[in-house]
Amino acid sequence: MRTVLVVDDEFGTVEVLVAALEDAGYRVLTAANGRRALERLEENKPDLVVSDFMMPLMDGAALVRAIRSNPQFRDIPVIMMSAAPEAALRKRLDGYEAFLRKPFRVPALLELIASLLNPPRSSSPR
Amino acid sequence: MTGNGNQLTLERVPTGIPGLDKILCGGLLSGGVYVIQGVPGTGKTILANQICFSHVAAGGHVAFVTLLAESHTRMLQHLQPMSFYHEEAIPDHLYYVSGFRILESEGLKGIVDLLRREIKGHQAGLLVLDGFATTEESASSPREFKKFVHELQSHAAALECTVLLLTNGSTRAVSSEYTMVDGVIHLEDTLFEQRTERTLRVAKFRGSDFLDGRHPFRITSQGLEVFPRIETAFAVPSVRDVYCPRRQSTGVPTLDAILGGGILAETSNGLYGPTGIGKTTLGLQYVAQSEAAEPGAFFGFFESPERLRARAQTLGIGLAALERRGAVEVIWYPQGEHILDELGHRMIEAVRRRGVKRLFVDGYGALVESATNSGRMTRFVSTLSNELRALKATVIMSMESRNVFGTATELPDKGPSSLLEGLILMRYTELDGRIRRLVSVTKIRDSAFDPGLREFEITPRGIEIGPPIHGMEAVLSGFAREPKAAIPDSRAQGKHQED
Repeated sequence: MRTVLVVDDEFGTVEVLVAALEDAGYRVLTAANGRRALERLEENKPDLVVSDFMMPLMDGAALVRAIRSNPQFRDIPVIMMSAAPEAALRKRLDGYEAFLRKPFRVPALLELIASLLNPPRSSSPR
Repeated sequence: MTGNGNQLTLERVPTGIPGLDKILCGGLLSGGVYVIQGVPGTGKTILANQICFSHVAAGGHVAFVTLLAESHTRMLQHLQPMSFYHEEAIPDHLYYVSGFRILESEGLKGIVDLLRREIKGHQAGLLVLDGFATTEESASSPREFKKFVHELQSHAAALECTVLLLTNGSTRAVSSEYTMVDGVIHLEDTLFEQRTERTLRVAKFRGSDFLDGRHPFRITSQGLEVFPRIETAFAVPSVRDVYCPRRQSTGVPTLDAILGGGILAETSNGLYGPTGIGKTTLGLQYVAQSEAAEPGAFFGFFESPERLRARAQTLGIGLAALERRGAVEVIWYPQGEHILDELGHRMIEAVRRRGVKRLFVDGYGALVESATNSGRMTRFVSTLSNELRALKATVIMSMESRNVFGTATELPDKGPSSLLEGLILMRYTELDGRIRRLVSVTKIRDSAFDPGLREFEITPRGIEIGPPIHGMEAVLSGFAREPKAAIPDSRAQGKHQED
């Protein structure tokens, strides 16, 4: 069973994503901010991270930087999500695989996760 | 803060909402903690976000922290149609986070730490905490909650960050958060029969004057538009009233002669009469005397600008041409559910914007209908008139009488009518099986005028007034008649003279 770490400070969003991902057959870990997410990563290495951008204590940009700078985690794909447009985040954010603008449809997220966890054979490794 | 020796003066943080800044005498105070209280749907979140975006537009940074409130995604979706919303402000200048999970795991201490970190981390000059009531619910004791508010105040003052606490909470005037914070703004939604009116009231504002009482506001795609109550906003006219008596033509030469050379400029006047008598016609003739250098405005509620132009055309008045060359502006508020203070502000704004010297308001009845409390009309008209006079505008306001015929000539409201400097009375009367129109001047303060009754007609050239009526009696009853033969009773004649 693949594991997804959902990082978001809004518990309502987390609840929805946990339910949808568990229904789709994933094991789900959660964290309320970037700092908690790093603790979770140390406890259980997930196959993929879905993270919000605007969070207290440590935002999505700092979380991605921390993931990419750690050899143990640097290959974990990260999907960034935010109510802010991607263009507004670009100057502060790098190293994420995909972006979803909130609000989004859950099937779109599931499709994106599936494509990142099971890339077509022809695609070159990241 | 600005320094002056050892004296520190608190800087103002404008809300960016002109009406609210006027009520707050310039804005909130930097480093102050303010409660914005109102039941759900009263506009707290829109108000707070509008202030946030205004702060960002002025170059500031804002942190917006929510606790068990609407999700950020949903909130931003709701804000997107608002004109003040600018997507590019997020996240660099305006940062939204939820503190609820920290509140759950670390309690109020965790929230204080979070707020302090968010202020410092984002160099925020403004912080919003949406869901403030949740902090009170989370406190283990009233003492812990007071301590939380006190700590928050200390950090806000030290970091010079203005804090807005949004709450649905109680209106208990003695509740601890009210006694401790620097200010409280209530938002209310009051039902008046079928209609509602939103109002805002500053219940407390430490360290500053403010305009007290309820002030109406409206929520539109522009956000909140606040209309400070006319009686408080213009308690003293915005400019010094320098009065130089002079006359202004009404556009009807004979009426000018009756008035002693025209209407007194920079005064407020009533034009009283029943429906269809010719009030609007006179109003059109009056504003048609305007020129770009001495502009006029027709502020009406009944006829649309298109219909008014067509009507003016039948009187030989090229209203559209006057509008095109900037001599006249037609402002139309179709009769509906208006806010009295909004109408007052719109009138003042129309006069101020173009330096209007001739303002015809058609009519007073629509102002009364927009009032949720008609008991304030005397104060409203008095304050509005003072401001318009100080702005050098001459005002004629049509006032509709209830009866078309009959003996009663009661004015619509004795209070406001008594405040007007001039009163022109128009009446119908029946004589010889024909309806006739009459005009008379019943009041011109501090000036002589011809009190005689005259018949007038509305012709393709407009109002044309005939000579004074002689040899008729009971004309004002609406049923004029030839006088009866003189009664040879010297006592009766003597009494009449005494009257």
